[in-house]
Amino acid sequence: MPTSEELNGLARAVAVQSDRQAFAVLFKHFAPRIKSYLILGGTGDALAEEITQETMVNVWRKAHTFDPERASVSTWIFTIARNLRVDYFRRQDARLVYGAEEEAEAQADTLPALDEQVLAQERESRVRMAMARLPDEQALVLRLSFFEERPHARIAAELGIPLGTVKSRVRLAVNQLRRLLSGIES
Amino acid sequence: MTHHHPADDLLLGLAAGTLTSGVAVLTASHVETCAHCRDRLLVLETAGGTLLENLTPESLSSDALARTMAAIDAPQRPLAAKKTEGRLPQAPEGMQWPRALSDCVATPWRWIGPGMRWSRVTLPSDPAAKLFLLRIAAGRKLAMHTHAGMELTQVLYGRFHDGRDHFAAGDFDETDDSVHHQPEALASGECICLAYVGGKVVFKGMLARTLGAIMGM
Repeated sequence: MPTSEELNGLARAVAVQSDRQAFAVLFKHFAPRIKSYLILGGTGDALAEEITQETMVNVWRKAHTFDPERASVSTWIFTIARNLRVDYFRRQDARLVYGAEEEAEAQADTLPALDEQVLAQERESRVRMAMARLPDEQALVLRLSFFEERPHARIAAELGIPLGTVKSRVRLAVNQLRRLLSGIES
Repeated sequence: MTHHHPADDLLLGLAAGTLTSGVAVLTASHVETCAHCRDRLLVLETAGGTLLENLTPESLSSDALARTMAAIDAPQRPLAAKKTEGRLPQAPEGMQWPRALSDCVATPWRWIGPGMRWSRVTLPSDPAAKLFLLRIAAGRKLAMHTHAGMELTQVLYGRFHDGRDHFAAGDFDETDDSVHHQPEALASGECICLAYVGGKVVFKGMLARTLGAIMGM
């Protein structure tokens, strides 16, 4: 499995040199996981395949907006897949969610040097550690929140709690994640 | 300085892409102008990226990469430039509409009472979503009301208080049927808010009910 630094290097090669081999490596790593994400959310196989390919087309086209200081490659690709999924299901206008895209377009020529990428990688490894330390129930709440088509109904069913109290369980889980994060030395 | 922020369940829903359209627009419009919530959102999106990394890979069709490469080489449709101008009502000088509204169409300001105007906002992805703008003149107050469901408000301009607290441009508020409130713009200037209601707005008194009927909420 490629490391976070390697993935950054690949995304950079795609952005700067339109490197097709680097893109193929990103594809091999991410496309099967994107499809898995879509299928977990209730998307049928054919549509999941289509959205996966479209996500990777966007990865190619938007590579110059990827900001390794802001987010890791996996986080960036997650937001692209999520936005396309939302667009397909018309839940919201998602082009706004990543937000920094317009600003990123404007400064496309100033990709930060590799040693400036520490911040996002730091965040990623701390989030990963914090998630590993979450109590089972809260880890479950978080996972269902991301991967279920109707997360609140599913959380209520899994935990055997009324729908009305799901919100507070979700808040509790995020709060716990944040507490763990602040406890992890950077 | 923003003092009122969306709760974690809303930010998590935004990060996961599971909010309904109207709720997503309100939450996104707050995040646009709030660095604190952009950071919170980024942590949750990083959690999403981490979960994605850990998923068991699904098998793809054998020509998936070849088809993706072909799509990359196909000529791209030019993106139409997005303009909010003319599709949203007139804003006071110096105020900008949230980018979250860039796909929306809204009516011109309509009078609903002394010093009170509103504009119905339509979301193309969910035209039934009860999304609207309120413009309250300096010192004016809305009728006392409560909600059958959730009400979300993002202050875009000026400030109001509603007996519970003060809300200024950039602030976000979430209330439900447990709250009866009567937002009032401060005497120093008018106030513009973007609001979303999940259920019906329930006004007190007959005049107020008439207003509720005009607004169709």
